[in-house]
Amino acid sequence: MTGRRVIPLRWPAVVAVTVVGLVGLVAFTWPFFVTGDFARDHGNDAPWLFAVLLGLLAVVCLAEVTAGRLDAKTIAVLGVAAAAGGALRLLSAGTAGLEPMFFVVIVAGCVLGPGVGFVSGALAVTTGALLTGGVGPWLPFQMICAGGIGLGAGLLPARAGGRVERWVLAAYALVTGLAYGLLMNLWFWPFLGANAPTGMGFVPGAPLLDNLGHYGLFYLTTSLGWDLPRGLLNALLVLSAGPALLRVFRRAARRAAFGAPVVFAPPETPASLQDTRGRP
Amino acid sequence: MQHRARLQHPAAWWLWGLGLATAASRTTNPVLLLLVIGVCVVVVTERRDPATANPLPAFLVIGAVIVAFRVAMTALLGNGIAGQTVLVTLPRVPLPEWAASVRMGGPVTLESLLYAVYDALRLAAILACLGAANALASPRRLLRYLPATLYDVGTAVVVGLTFAPQLLTDARQVRAARTLRGRDGRGVREMARLTVPVLETAFERSLGLAASMESRGYGRVVRSTAATRRTATGLALAGLVGVLAGLYGLLDASAGGVLGLPVLVLGVLLAASSLVVGASRDRRSGHRRDGWAWTESMTVVAGAAPGAVLVVASVLGWDGVVPSQQAQLPEVPLLAVVAVLVAAAPAWFTPRPREMAS
Repeated sequence: MTGRRVIPLRWPAVVAVTVVGLVGLVAFTWPFFVTGDFARDHGNDAPWLFAVLLGLLAVVCLAEVTAGRLDAKTIAVLGVAAAAGGALRLLSAGTAGLEPMFFVVIVAGCVLGPGVGFVSGALAVTTGALLTGGVGPWLPFQMICAGGIGLGAGLLPARAGGRVERWVLAAYALVTGLAYGLLMNLWFWPFLGANAPTGMGFVPGAPLLDNLGHYGLFYLTTSLGWDLPRGLLNALLVLSAGPALLRVFRRAARRAAFGAPVVFAPPETPASLQDTRGRP
Repeated sequence: MQHRARLQHPAAWWLWGLGLATAASRTTNPVLLLLVIGVCVVVVTERRDPATANPLPAFLVIGAVIVAFRVAMTALLGNGIAGQTVLVTLPRVPLPEWAASVRMGGPVTLESLLYAVYDALRLAAILACLGAANALASPRRLLRYLPATLYDVGTAVVVGLTFAPQLLTDARQVRAARTLRGRDGRGVREMARLTVPVLETAFERSLGLAASMESRGYGRVVRSTAATRRTATGLALAGLVGVLAGLYGLLDASAGGVLGLPVLVLGVLLAASSLVVGASRDRRSGHRRDGWAWTESMTVVAGAAPGAVLVVASVLGWDGVVPSQQAQLPEVPLLAVVAVLVAAAPAWFTPRPREMAS
């Protein structure tokens, strides 16, 4: 497939995305494997430190993926994905977290490749935050997560136009909807400290399995009620609108003619013109 | 003191908000936290950016919801604080064995409720500071200060910001047209039907914009050569690996935390420098440049003061910064109160934002 890679991911970009993904994973899961002393001493500042760190790394990663590789047409397509993300955020502002935004990101990543998926995921979240005035320490975490969702959609092994594609994408939307909530809760969960409900809080220095169990209970009781409807909504949207939306994106990609080689050739002058030129 | 009406530099307001948020994150004293929220409300009422909708009320509502939610959860599920003063005893719900560590119902103590309120109030105060920063200087004005390396990405965000409201207008029009044909326009399936015409229009418009951008020589203001880009890539990768190694050193006790922090800082510096090195921008004149006058500096100082005072207070462990959960008024450190009140000063000495011409 030639149309799938609009922003080609070269090796530096791949390395950058991988390292940022690793740092992101650490930023989310550090409560599970640090020592008790560290967690007690730094439990309050660590989320802020990671917010700043991830903000910088997300920006560096964006620069690395896009460096010198965005022409006006790619920007136009990314702008549409960002606008759709932002508009859906505006629409869903009243419905507490039922964000149908991911479904546009997933389709964009699937059609235009992992590079565009990553950038459009990160930009859709940013645009939504800028539009609703919701810029805060959670933004870097959301950028990394949404970027990862778009990136993963680009790497899905679904054949374009096949019947399976729709179901693969819908399942992906459901799984990522749940995983997004699972990860995003983690950035403030250690914050709760003793304030979490009994048996669901972060205990510094407790064995890994205990804390995992506590977090599992916390997720089941507080977050699943939001995440499950969100995952289902995104999956339903992909199922019902997915094929049409895929066609819209493919058509736009064809019209924009990404990757069309630009060749400059000396102007051909027809022989008849050359004859007439010499005359007075 | 009368100034010409103008908008302050957005970075000044954001630094002010971050300073105040730092102060709020360091204390659970309800008096101080309510003061912080009050300061935010006062400054926003006096000096908010009139060009955008005010996001502060939404942030305050979310904060109030968080407080209510935490109190309800604590009453129902309890928390890690065992208190003596039992207010009411709820009927206890028996749970299966795998959830034995959880309790549902049972005695509700005043101490646990107070702890929940104090802690939730801290989060609400931090949210209020961020909402105030969002209201005082719309974050999209910060987009101008992106480094040249991110010029393309910034343009994509600006395109997105411009098209998002138009997308909503389009969606409304398509929906109106469908309603005229006898559809009620509700439900997931109808929403899915909307997407095709709306996105088709958006792509149409956006590719038209791209064509006009290309024909006007878009992107020529950014100077970047293969060599500078390679340097930037090298710096970025070295920085990222440094950050990863530094984090490992910090978090893993067996590696010894001594080397962790310097390596982390070095990695951050390298990564940040890659943004600067990657490309440079032609010097050009800008429309309505934001100036930086003494009021901007004073705003930053006014925000940093409570942050600094409360960081010192929490490190030295002053009385009342982290109050006990007894049923009594917590002690209030006077210096901290004064420092938080200083943050309200920008409501008076900064220039007034220009009124909207409408």
